[in-house]
Amino acid sequence: MNVDTKVIMGDLVLRTPLLTGSGTFGYGNEYNTLVDYSKLGGIITKSISLEPRNGNPPPRICETRAGGIINSIGLANVGVDAFLNQKVEALPIGKTEVFISVVGDSVEDYTSVVEKLETIEDIAGYELNISCPNVKSGGLSLGGDKEAVAAITKAVRSMTHRFVSVKLTPHYAVIAPVAEAAVKAGADALTLTNTLVGMAIDAECRKSLLGNVTGGYSGPPLKPVSLAKVWQASQVVDIPIWASGGMVNGIDCIEFMLAGASALQLGSVLFADPTAPERILVEMTEYCERHNVERFSNLIGSLEIQ
Amino acid sequence: MTVYSPVISRHCQAGQFVHVRIGDSFNPFLRRPLSIGPCDGDYLRLIFTVKGIGTKILSEKQPGDMIDLIGPLGKPFYLPDEKSCPVLIGGGIGVVPLLTLDDHIKKAVFLLGVQSKTSLTVDESEINQRGISIASDDGSIGFNGNVVQLFEKTLQQWSGTEKQKIIVYACGPMPMMIALKSVCAKFSIKAYLSLEAPMACGVGACQSCVVRKAKAEGYYLVCQDGPVFDAQDVELQP
Repeated sequence: MNVDTKVIMGDLVLRTPLLTGSGTFGYGNEYNTLVDYSKLGGIITKSISLEPRNGNPPPRICETRAGGIINSIGLANVGVDAFLNQKVEALPIGKTEVFISVVGDSVEDYTSVVEKLETIEDIAGYELNISCPNVKSGGLSLGGDKEAVAAITKAVRSMTHRFVSVKLTPHYAVIAPVAEAAVKAGADALTLTNTLVGMAIDAECRKSLLGNVTGGYSGPPLKPVSLAKVWQASQVVDIPIWASGGMVNGIDCIEFMLAGASALQLGSVLFADPTAPERILVEMTEYCERHNVERFSNLIGSLEIQ
Repeated sequence: MTVYSPVISRHCQAGQFVHVRIGDSFNPFLRRPLSIGPCDGDYLRLIFTVKGIGTKILSEKQPGDMIDLIGPLGKPFYLPDEKSCPVLIGGGIGVVPLLTLDDHIKKAVFLLGVQSKTSLTVDESEINQRGISIASDDGSIGFNGNVVQLFEKTLQQWSGTEKQKIIVYACGPMPMMIALKSVCAKFSIKAYLSLEAPMACGVGACQSCVVRKAKAEGYYLVCQDGPVFDAQDVELQP
């Protein structure tokens, strides 16, 4: 059986549902010799801000005994001007769809960055990382508030025809109000979710394992949390959901599609296995063959509730 | 551990590293960056001490097992020209990239610091064959003291003109590197340091493995800008 791997979201056609999670795939070309772009529906760059950011003091990454990793990179990036001058040329445009992640501290930051990025030809769209910034108006902290999400989304929506996904934190106790606010403001998709705030300590040394003390917890332990957010959001919104959260194999990805995801972001797994896109695509295809599913897209939201 | 990998062994240069996957289970999650030890034809040596669960699992590999490596990664040591006097200074398991470098350098002075005779990171036969001078913290073998003190003692035997020809190549624990950088700065000796840092991707994508720049704001990536750095370019932190 030839399983159709593509997923369609309005005008956007991804040849596979597999994307790379922002922050794990650099500026899109660092993995050139290791990743097979033909297996990816698209890549999402690390988050680009208006001004360059040096990032947090080291150490910036650690493992936890429960599994998974905590990072405190601190959104280190070259800033949008240097991105345009130095990084755009190496984007894998033509090999796969390219989405640029955008981050800021204010609505104006987001719009200023997107305005500059609009000069790049042939990128597919943007992912707005509004999962952990502090907004000038005092709005968005990690608990998040829907007004800030709506304001940023609406402002960016008004200046681009490109695909816009809004990336949210898993820290919302109830995701529906903010998800609905993003949809109402014009988001084309929701990315669920960013990392959880986590922390790790070396008791022997009495030291935090991260220079920034706390960081973003990702990897397999995040999966049940993200899965729940994807499911909950899928019950209240009718735009596509891009799932992100601890997927390491094809069955993980299938579960996210059953819960309502249209696309799947591979993040931390790439650190362990840069060949994951190729492997996971095979595993997903095998699942579909076993279950007589002709198209990946037929899986979306097809969870049966017991 | 000896690994059959013609591509890596025949293309790597001293100072580069491989990013080693521990197993298929994703726990521990991250790869481990290991210096490439001396290569012999299609084979390379990986030498490590068991520090945690990752290296413990690696140490339990059996002959014939497959192992997943990405490499060679990072920038290698700059090789010295014929006029210079290379001094290789290793601390503990940090000796590994220097063994590889030693294979490419004629007549290097080679110093190794260990805690004691029981914690040697190189076989005694190889120590003799390479002419390595040992310093031990407890005095149980070689010089009684740390390897930086041994280096300072060695320096006393060199004239001022000879000192100017010295290029230090070093790899070891951070306190050793900080002390060594200070000694090299005092005598205006060029030093290349091979650094390590907690690392995720190994290819410059994740920006985890940073070391602070000494002459500018911001950070270098150990995986991509290093792991070998000119000592003057980096600010070492305990």
